Amino acid sequence: MNGARILIVDDNKTNLKLASDVLAFEGYKILNASDAESAQEIIRKTPPDLILMDIALPGMDGLTLTRLLKLDESTRRIVVVALTASAMKGDDARAREAGCDGYITKPIDTRTFPNVVAAYLRARGGDA
Amino acid sequence: MYWNGGAERLFGYSAAEALGNSIDALIVPHGHVDDLDQYRREALATGFSTFETARLRKDGSLVYTVVSNKAVYDTEGRAEFIVITQKDVTHIKVLRDAKLVESQYRDLLESTPDAIIMANQTGRIVLANSQAETLFGYERGEMLGALVDVLLPGRYRGSHVGHRSGYFGQPRTRSMGAGLELYGLRKDGSEFPVEISLSPLTTDGGTLVMSAIRDISSRKAIESALQEKNVELERANQAKDRFLASMSHELRTPLNGIIGFAEFLSDGKPGPLNDKQKEYLGDILNSGRHLLHLINDMLDLVKIQAGRVDLALEQFSIRDAIREVCTGVHPLAVSKAIELTVNIDAGIGFVTLDEQRFKQILYNLLSNALKFTDDHGHVAIDVTPAGEDRFRMVVSDDGIGIRAEDISRLFTEFEQLETGTSRRFGGTGLGLALTRKLVESHGGAIDVDSEFGKGSRFGVLLPLAMKGKAS
Repeated sequence: MNGARILIVDDNKTNLKLASDVLAFEGYKILNASDAESAQEIIRKTPPDLILMDIALPGMDGLTLTRLLKLDESTRRIVVVALTASAMKGDDARAREAGCDGYITKPIDTRTFPNVVAAYLRARGGDA
Repeated sequence: MYWNGGAERLFGYSAAEALGNSIDALIVPHGHVDDLDQYRREALATGFSTFETARLRKDGSLVYTVVSNKAVYDTEGRAEFIVITQKDVTHIKVLRDAKLVESQYRDLLESTPDAIIMANQTGRIVLANSQAETLFGYERGEMLGALVDVLLPGRYRGSHVGHRSGYFGQPRTRSMGAGLELYGLRKDGSEFPVEISLSPLTTDGGTLVMSAIRDISSRKAIESALQEKNVELERANQAKDRFLASMSHELRTPLNGIIGFAEFLSDGKPGPLNDKQKEYLGDILNSGRHLLHLINDMLDLVKIQAGRVDLALEQFSIRDAIREVCTGVHPLAVSKAIELTVNIDAGIGFVTLDEQRFKQILYNLLSNALKFTDDHGHVAIDVTPAGEDRFRMVVSDDGIGIRAEDISRLFTEFEQLETGTSRRFGGTGLGLALTRKLVESHGGAIDVDSEFGKGSRFGVLLPLAMKGKAS
């Protein structure tokens, strides 16, 4: 289970490191991208099992990338979970509309975060 | 039928246009009820008949005529045809009608604040009070005999003729052009917005229509100023929303690093820590969480103050909701060895409120009670019915209590009582202000009863089932 590959997309280096280190501690294989374009590159080469997607990114935003991934037959099965500091009413609905399978707001709770991610991975496993 | 030049001038139809048509179809106004046949029979029987009536011209306007029917007989005394003579007495009719209403209504109409215009069936003005003359910019008496249409901007005239004959078909008091923007036309060609009400007036000379006309320029100006203001306010609101959303985003982003790394470190995940390191990391964590709490409360409060809280009303078990909140504060109660008791009246099971907001209300009151109660104290939650459709929830403690002079400031933003309590007890200073707003947004009320040094009781009165206004 914990061998699953997780791609974390975040333009903030500190927050990228936090999510990476917390999940790496649980034994996940972590891939990092600081923008949507380099994320696309990584997804093409080594498709992850789950993507933690920041929404506000320089260039293409996270929701646009999610839409593209969900339209593409080869990537639409990848679980996409929005991981964002946008916590206003309606932000979660917009994320789901774009095709996100889940929504986590920052600041994250490092104690429950790995469990939440594991639950999304399990849910994907159930569907397959 | 024979149609002479006089008829052409009066009605506007040439002989070629008129001949072959029924005279009734051509010049009798639509919906007009003259007993023409009766006058014709009378002419055939007695040789002559005459009456006055309104007649329709080709351009749609009406004229008032005296109609004479004269039978012409052949040599054997049989009626061969009828000579119909129509004499245009429109102007005479105006003067007659004017004389009729002048004596009866002039004084009365001069004393009203509104501009009043009376028109007869042909659409000619038979009386205009001086307010009307002033409003439309005419000299005294100048409007008499004019078609009322001259008081309308050109673009309305065509349809007005039709409306006018329609009105005489079914005269009743009503406002004119309901739902339409109406304009009056001054003699100098300028326009102004008006409101017009019409009422029929039955006189010996036939039905007249009385129009009361009000210049609504200033009202329109106020309306449009208000509308502009509203647009401006809406724009300002949207700007505020955008500002709040981006502020929330910008503040959460660094807090993620502060809270996240402090938590991860103090849990000892990257490696063992000594006690001081653990303590300081705990301090960073508490400060970070406090800041997060403050941001959340502030956003909530701003939304509520703007009246833009959407309540998600649903039926839920009050017992379960209270249990969940108690579970949340359990660690704090345990750490201070405070006894927490819950009493819910057996008659209260399910309520219809915004469950999250209800929990927020209870959580705020409960965490305050625990915070301001010393170790080994008591905190209680009591829920009892209040009348038919409400319930009362009281959170009481035997903590430090509140001074009488401080109670009034309790529900105000950023008013934590006693200098230094903030440091000692934490809290944002927004909790009770927010709680009150949340209670009020459910149509409820909050009250407090406290004795300094003895403890406090916070009571909220809420509906059992909040109606309507679901998001």
